[in-house]
Amino acid sequence: MATPLLLQAEHVAKAYAGIPALRDGRLSLRAGSVHALCGGNGAGKSTFLSILMGITQRDAGSILLNGAPVHFHRPSEALAAGVAMITQELEPIPYMTVAENIWLGREPRRAGCIVDSKALNRRTRELLESLEFDVEATAPMHRLSVAQIQLVEIAKAFSHDCQVMIMDEPTSAIGEREAETLFKAIRRLTARGAGIVYVSHRLSELAQIADDYSIFRDGAFVESGRMADIDRAHLVRGIVGQELTRIDHKVGRESAAECCLDVQGLSRSGEFQDISLQLRQGEILGIYGLMGSGRSEFLNCIYGLTTPDAGSVTLQGKPMPIGLPKATIRAGMSLVTEDRKESGLVLSSSILSNIALSAYKQLSSWSLINARKENQLAEDMVKRLQIKTTSLDLPVASMSGGNQQKVVLAKCLSTQPVCLLCDEPTRGIDEGAKQEIYHLLDQFVRAGGAAIVVSSEAPELLHLSDRIAVFKGGRLVTISSDTALSQEALLSLAS
Amino acid sequence: MNAKTITAPLTPPARSRLRLSLDRFGLPLVFILLCVVMAFSSEYFMTWRNWMDILRQTSINGILAVGMTYVILTKGIDLSVGSILAFAGLCSALVATQGYGLLAAVSAGMFAGAMLGVVNGFMVANLSIPPFVATLGMLSIARGMTFILNDGSPVTDLPDAYLALGIGKLGPIGVPIIIFAVVALIFWMVLRYTTYGRYVYAVGGNEKSARTSGIGVRKVTFSVYVVSGLLAGLAGVVLSARTTSALPQAGMSYELDAIAAVVIGGTSLSGGVGTIVGTLFGALLIGVINNGLNLLGVSSYYQQVAKGLIIVLAVLIDVWRKKKR
Amino acid sequence: MKVATSFAAVAALTLLASSITLAADGKTYKVGAAVYGLKGQFMQNWVRELKEHPAVKDGTVQLTVFDGNYDALTQNNQIENMVTQRYDAILFVPIDTKAGVGTVKQAMSNDVVVIASNTKVADASVPYVGNDDVEGGRLQAQAMVDKLQGKGNVVIIQGPIGQSAQIDREKGELEVLGKHPGIKIIEKKTANWDRAQALTLTEDWLNAHPKGINGVIAQNDDMALGAVQALKSHGLTSKDVPVTSIDGMPDAIQAAKKDEVTTFLQDAQAQSQGALDVALRQLAGKDYTPKSVIWERYAKDVTWGDGTAKNYILPWVPVTNANADALYQQVSGSK
Repeated sequence: MATPLLLQAEHVAKAYAGIPALRDGRLSLRAGSVHALCGGNGAGKSTFLSILMGITQRDAGSILLNGAPVHFHRPSEALAAGVAMITQELEPIPYMTVAENIWLGREPRRAGCIVDSKALNRRTRELLESLEFDVEATAPMHRLSVAQIQLVEIAKAFSHDCQVMIMDEPTSAIGEREAETLFKAIRRLTARGAGIVYVSHRLSELAQIADDYSIFRDGAFVESGRMADIDRAHLVRGIVGQELTRIDHKVGRESAAECCLDVQGLSRSGEFQDISLQLRQGEILGIYGLMGSGRSEFLNCIYGLTTPDAGSVTLQGKPMPIGLPKATIRAGMSLVTEDRKESGLVLSSSILSNIALSAYKQLSSWSLINARKENQLAEDMVKRLQIKTTSLDLPVASMSGGNQQKVVLAKCLSTQPVCLLCDEPTRGIDEGAKQEIYHLLDQFVRAGGAAIVVSSEAPELLHLSDRIAVFKGGRLVTISSDTALSQEALLSLAS
Repeated sequence: MNAKTITAPLTPPARSRLRLSLDRFGLPLVFILLCVVMAFSSEYFMTWRNWMDILRQTSINGILAVGMTYVILTKGIDLSVGSILAFAGLCSALVATQGYGLLAAVSAGMFAGAMLGVVNGFMVANLSIPPFVATLGMLSIARGMTFILNDGSPVTDLPDAYLALGIGKLGPIGVPIIIFAVVALIFWMVLRYTTYGRYVYAVGGNEKSARTSGIGVRKVTFSVYVVSGLLAGLAGVVLSARTTSALPQAGMSYELDAIAAVVIGGTSLSGGVGTIVGTLFGALLIGVINNGLNLLGVSSYYQQVAKGLIIVLAVLIDVWRKKKR
Repeated sequence: MKVATSFAAVAALTLLASSITLAADGKTYKVGAAVYGLKGQFMQNWVRELKEHPAVKDGTVQLTVFDGNYDALTQNNQIENMVTQRYDAILFVPIDTKAGVGTVKQAMSNDVVVIASNTKVADASVPYVGNDDVEGGRLQAQAMVDKLQGKGNVVIIQGPIGQSAQIDREKGELEVLGKHPGIKIIEKKTANWDRAQALTLTEDWLNAHPKGINGVIAQNDDMALGAVQALKSHGLTSKDVPVTSIDGMPDAIQAAKKDEVTTFLQDAQAQSQGALDVALRQLAGKDYTPKSVIWERYAKDVTWGDGTAKNYILPWVPVTNANADALYQQVSGSK
């Protein structure tokens, strides 16, 4: 081969208590390239990555780093050998500066114990400049945006002389513009000869950034090749294992004339200003905007999680109470929150009580729960949403991301809403589950409901919604019913 | 596709079922084991009288622990139960000695406890003071008020009807045991069969999700401190009846035993997980250890060591369980 | 700062010394009472009686009470503060005989009069007014021996291990019981002066030794009352299993009247008022005559002499049917 292989993994396997999580993991990473690792939930990607990082130990297989076999027992060993990982959950120390975070535990010292802050800041500036990252060395971490924090994490990894960088869903928490910054940084890294293993559920961005790809399915390697040689459909086929019939959900969908939700002049200082829009029955309205455009804040405010400074919300002709989720739920609204773990689910509780959580008013009399009704509701929902589980009593924490998201949807549907608000409903879940959720939303509006979907994935909105509202800097820029709009056009409207 | 197929190989059903049952039966198993060991060590351990004594001795801590379970389920803590117990005991005894009758006296105690609970709840839910700090303040305030209330003196000469709450028997079973059993049953049912119970779990498991799901998080948080105060008040009444006088210095550091019972019972200090049944076993375990070591004539120093070890072990099992998951 | 304070203190003391020689009737004294803690009833009585002392009532003595909160360090700090604030005398009830010695000596070297009451300070130069806990232990043990007629199994409920009162009382108890080989100590454990703890402990012992316990020796009244409660719940009375203790708290006096316990009163009034008289004698000089009634009450046991003796050991008063009502009146404050 022309370019040397940085990392080569062959036949890596791992089983938990006799049940294989990874049967045959393979990866060949070339120096100076970005390698996309694709697969649905449960494909074995996470297990594979944690073996690479030494978080878990492999049962079988070999890993070569620069041609030499390695076996890491803990992440620090991997780091020392030049393998670093940037995970979805970034955990900087918020009230320390960028420099202090990067050199934590390795601070330059004087007289053995006094931190030499001059040297510390100088080194950090040199490092950030060499990587061309636009971050101030002395800025405190808690002032930085998510994307900037990622840059700091990357810089930290490079301060360890890292050769192989694993990025697990790096764009899941950031918007398009920040993603651009990240991609620029990635290109700069590859130019220096580093290799990147890149994991993302957003297939469109893989085409943009990756040079090579590998697909895992059901715990085993399926195929790999050059990204340039294949198209998106090929990738989806490989991940799902079958031809995904991409149904055009919008065909034959007709929204009624009646207005379901009417928002007039809604404002909340520092978040969004003077937003008016109408949602018709039987319609999906997409909201597109970058991070900080006020799209999530707008949804939360309609739902009553925050109180607006001005404006009104009317649902089916009735004015909505302000700042009271309990009342908006009763009036027929439901919110699928942006982060299911943070604000959608009670992870420690069972699937059953999560599904029923909002609906106990209907499921009880004199506040005594009718267990039969509760079970019936949960079982109906499991069937309707095709939630895969063996028992309703299992904690939701044990489920995959896609199934957890369906439980959130089930919870929201259990109150029989007329208006469903969805904030990033397909974030971090695999392609198959995404399609199922699209189908569900479509069914919901066809049955007479109405939905608002906020998403930072333009293709998703173009595919799903009847109209798209674009938010920018807390204001509504336009509402377009032209669904033939291109992704680029949307992005340029939003930025 | 069948709706109930196995999801991912990462969560094998057989294993989780085993783990579920271990979670559920682990503590009773330890408890039974301890009882068997004790039964072989002392011929008097397995006597009816001894068990009645264990239950009677456990009843005060048990009542406190039931309230504490509610608080800890919401990720809170109530350090003031010992002081509230003393305050309520004194209030109730004062009413009793004024000749207002049993019902008035008991209600006065429970009301006094609940009112201090209201203050706790207000501080935590409405003023957003961390529960540890708010109830630490109350620990001191309530104790001081107890001494102020009767100028530091105990209230004695309680009427016989009142004393029956601590000393009396209903058939072969002591009244404190019956009170404890009724309290445990009621609060177990509330937690298990009512919407309020589910809300308590939801608020402790994930406050944000609970709020999004339309649950009045503040109300629920507020209410658990009232529950805890109310039960501390009841425990105070029973304690003064059992010691035949309401002592202002009673109940010092009782909060620690109550927390220990809850934690040993498998309730997670990070909220959302736990049961009243677990707490019952936790309280009984502490009762049996104290009783057993007394029967065997082991020094109280070892008793403290044993209790401490069991608390740490119980939490260790909890941590280990979470890691495995 | 420190130098300045000590200068001020010295100056003040010189002034004070000269003023004492001139002492006329209008002279007032600043007296501080540092008690180990005010949560127990005994210390509350001690303080209440002190405030009833004639010299306090007529304004000769300006009294301030400090609650040591059961902490030796707190008490030491309080004494240091009193020295700084130029108190004339300190009545000291230490939580521990040894923990305060250094601070007390410092106070005395600053010419502050210090009198120990209730519990001795482990330094021979500090005058003591109070009861002898060793003697109390002897008395209650002897009472038990008499009740059991020299034969039987007893259990001892101890105070907090290591506290002076616990050590001394137990010393007296063991001394007497050692002389009677017919009496066997089958259990011994602490209930920390606490009624509820003693109740639980006694219940467990009764289960461990059904019919095997003939007597209960409790090192204070509260624990004795807990034991009585446990006996009742096991269908026993003090006739079957006698309980002895010391202190003479109101509750216990009531119980003694009903023959449920045998207890010996240590007179809080005698301890606090006696200590104040001894302090005033040092401040006012040899012409001072003690003003408290207690010198009369215990005339046959304690003699005032010229008021400079190092130890005034008060007697333990056996509580009997005959004197119970009177003692109750006296102890619970004549309200």
